[in-house]
Amino acid sequence: MTHIIELQHVWKRYDTGGEVVEALKDVDFYADPGEFVSVMGPSGSGKSTMLNVLGLLDTPTEGTVLLDGQDVTDLSDHEMTTQRKQFVGFIFQSFHLIPTLSALENVEVPTLFGDDPSARERATDLLERVGLGNRLHYRPDQLSGGQKQRVAIARALVNEPRILLADEPTGNLDRKTGRSVLDLFDEIRREDDVAVIAVTHDPQLGEYADRTVQLVDGRIQ
Amino acid sequence: MSFFDDLFRRVPALLMARRNLSRNRIRSGLAVLGIIIGVLAIASLGMFGTTLRTGADQQLGEIGNEISISPNLQEGVEELTDRDVDEIERAVTDGEVVPLRSESALVSRGQQQTVATIYGMENPGALYEAQEGRVPDRLRQGALVGSGTAEILDVEPGNTISVDGRTYRIAAVLAEEQGISLVSPNNAVVVPLEDVNGTGYSQVVVSSDSGQAANESAVAIRESLNERDERVNVFELQAITQGIDQFFGIINTFLIGIGSISLVVAGVSILNVMLMSTIERRQEIGVLRAVGVQRGDVIRMILAEAGLLGVAGGVIGAILAVGAGVALNSFVLNDPLATFQPVNFLYILLAVGFGIGTSILSGLYPAWKAANERPVEALRK
Repeated sequence: MTHIIELQHVWKRYDTGGEVVEALKDVDFYADPGEFVSVMGPSGSGKSTMLNVLGLLDTPTEGTVLLDGQDVTDLSDHEMTTQRKQFVGFIFQSFHLIPTLSALENVEVPTLFGDDPSARERATDLLERVGLGNRLHYRPDQLSGGQKQRVAIARALVNEPRILLADEPTGNLDRKTGRSVLDLFDEIRREDDVAVIAVTHDPQLGEYADRTVQLVDGRIQ
Repeated sequence: MSFFDDLFRRVPALLMARRNLSRNRIRSGLAVLGIIIGVLAIASLGMFGTTLRTGADQQLGEIGNEISISPNLQEGVEELTDRDVDEIERAVTDGEVVPLRSESALVSRGQQQTVATIYGMENPGALYEAQEGRVPDRLRQGALVGSGTAEILDVEPGNTISVDGRTYRIAAVLAEEQGISLVSPNNAVVVPLEDVNGTGYSQVVVSSDSGQAANESAVAIRESLNERDERVNVFELQAITQGIDQFFGIINTFLIGIGSISLVVAGVSILNVMLMSTIERRQEIGVLRAVGVQRGDVIRMILAEAGLLGVAGGVIGAILAVGAGVALNSFVLNDPLATFQPVNFLYILLAVGFGIGTSILSGLYPAWKAANERPVEALRK
């Protein structure tokens, strides 16, 4: 079986005014459909950089990124955006919902620019699934942190991605709410066969993950 | 409501733009205000120019439709003969030829007396209209009195007046000529031609229906009468009115230019607003890019915002401009409906177009900047 996403010998270097910082050093990584992988490591270890490379938001300096067996390392911005839309759902620590849009509209955002007549229906179903069927038309500021993260999860799922990337998904949530979000991840990857990759310091996440990868100073331990 | 839902569904950039603008109403409102002022300035200054021109045209009257032929005194021609008049009549295809003699004389009625210009002409009906009484086609007896003279002498049709010792019965009091005229009737008395001393004519006036016909007549008369030597001077007022028209055209352009400056200022304020709001929203835009929104769609979204500001400012500005035009025209011309001339709609259209154009132009840089920011950078906390 091909991995849904794979990094081969990935290096990422930043030139910060004369000094070259190596954020990722020869990283090999993969995730399979239905798998829950957590990436742990201290801050500054390159976790976010790795997530950005996995999510086609950033390109590696060296190495190869394979998405569903296809080499996507050197795609143009337009093609990368198209691939992101099709394959990847993002969840952020601070939710990043658009404050002027309702919960339903926020979930629809990834489908908005493009002809997608069933988007509203899918968005409604997803919000019902994450337990917000009665909050469809609430604005983000009318929702609690856990509810916002559920909206963000619904948004990440609306294009039926194969990979869900989460950057500190429980970072802004209390323990109990964090747990309910993680339960939701667990359900999603089992039911939808989605690979969930979460970057975190939260040890609680380790209980849910099939596999935990430690990243220290840009290297997988 | 369903219309907007439908529109937003079709053009999602508009939905996002609309919501973004409502986020900071005061700021959006101020940006719109800038465009309103700019559009109002261009449109109302343009209309102001039209009002000036219309007012001037009213003052000038139909002067452009008349030409005057007089003997060339420098060449020794003292007066125009019947032959000259025949030639003029042959040259003029469209218009009435009125040969006349003039002098100044004392006009009196009882104790009242005044000095007036006396015109001797056979067919005054071609030039004048009556205010009271009737202007005959052929003036064989009686006199026509200009409104100014009639007022001084306190006369009306049916009275008799004495001109240079001769007694006339007044056939009509002539309507006051508002504009400038080659042979103004206001302080004059028109009598039959043979009653004014002389054999030839001191002047021939040709009255046409249009400035163009007058111009053609003038050319034809010059060709015909001045073929061998410069017998006559042909005085055309059309050249003057054209010059005046041109002058007002320049004033108009100048006024609109001034108006455009305010629109440029408005454009800068929109640029500022859009730039601020895209900087504030860089994370959001980063999220949009992360979830698969293309660069082009981000550009469209921000241009739609700028465009909406422009449309709102343009529409409100246009409405205010029409109001200003109505006020101005009712004040200056006593005719508020003079606002609704095609040329004014052109100015309004121009102003609104400029307003929307300026807004979109001002949105270009912020849009480009937002779309080209790498989502990774934008999302960094």
